[in-house]
Amino acid sequence: MSLFSFTLIFAMAALSICVVLIGIRFAMGPTLPDRITCFDMFVSNIIGIVAIYTELTGNHDFIDVAIILSLFGFLGSISFAYYLMKSTR
Amino acid sequence: MKTFIVHFLIAFIGSYVYFKYGDPFLPYNAVWAVFVASFIMFMLWLTTPFYHRAYFHKLPRAISLFIYFLRELVVANFRVAYDILTPNYRMKPAVLAVPLSVTTDLEITMLATMITMTPGSLMIDVSADRKFIYMHTLYVKDNDVESAKQDVKDGFERRIMNLTR
Amino acid sequence: MFENINFLLIREIISSVLIIMGVVFMLIAAIGLLRFPDFYIRMSAITKGSTLGLGLILTGMGTYFNEPDILLKVLLIIGFTFLTAPVAAHVIGRTAVRNKIPFWERTDLEEFKDYLRKEHSTHRDHERDNKHL
Repeated sequence: MSLFSFTLIFAMAALSICVVLIGIRFAMGPTLPDRITCFDMFVSNIIGIVAIYTELTGNHDFIDVAIILSLFGFLGSISFAYYLMKSTR
Repeated sequence: MKTFIVHFLIAFIGSYVYFKYGDPFLPYNAVWAVFVASFIMFMLWLTTPFYHRAYFHKLPRAISLFIYFLRELVVANFRVAYDILTPNYRMKPAVLAVPLSVTTDLEITMLATMITMTPGSLMIDVSADRKFIYMHTLYVKDNDVESAKQDVKDGFERRIMNLTR
Repeated sequence: MFENINFLLIREIISSVLIIMGVVFMLIAAIGLLRFPDFYIRMSAITKGSTLGLGLILTGMGTYFNEPDILLKVLLIIGFTFLTAPVAAHVIGRTAVRNKIPFWERTDLEEFKDYLRKEHSTHRDHERDNKHL
């Protein structure tokens, strides 16, 4: 195993720790907008994981997954926020 | 703005086609691709005094605004990172009402985007009569609200006004 | 001139450095998400850190693969992320103000009181109107 792939695996491990930390905040976040923020950051972390996985395997097709994910992450957080804005009391 | 978009598309498609289908004597990598694209844009920029004189002056200002924005982004990121990693909070958050000098939709959108992209400051709303924007900022030194406002006005707003007026 | 330089090694080194920097930014952002006391501080400090980290990671990937297609896709993702992150942050922040999420107690709210009072009262009017419908 070369140093380069070791670096990539280390980076993926660090991003997985990030996902766990965000999950803790997602579980204990006191209000709903906290959870929307956490969702936003989930998406960007997973785009990073997909990018590093693409570099690790050398398969070009995975980048399309990252493009679609960035589109749908924005759409998801916007629609959650809009729903929250309309449904408060 | 329209001229910039047209030139950018010409440069982008030109460099893409050059590296994909042409016979490049340069070895392909990202640095050479950006170099060729900016070279095409530079050549197009040299022709602009004949038909669009304002663009000739505005492109250097746009580049300086972009570089200032990138520097501000990195510096503010390091400041917030220092605050995260050390146990005591140094921050004094406040919500400021910054008076606006810019008026049109495009300028306000650019200002709001740049303020929101800098870590440590978040744009909340524009007031109904478009005189103020409300921004939530983290670092107000010594409770001096006026100098914090003045930083925003001198930094981003003056450069945007240089660009669009 | 270029024969005895190992370009693959140089690309791997640049890509590793960029990816490590991006991962460190993301890790700092995740720790800050747990530590900061208030919704608005978390919002304004954290989302942008993760955006910068994502940009660095994608740039590293683009320099490792040496093809025009990959560079095009990477530029597409970076541009889209940098365009949409402020919009999402702005919408979520305004939603939070409208939902009366409390501020941190050390926040200086002197100039914001008028806006808050007006916002909440108009919101109540709006709700009363809906009840009539």
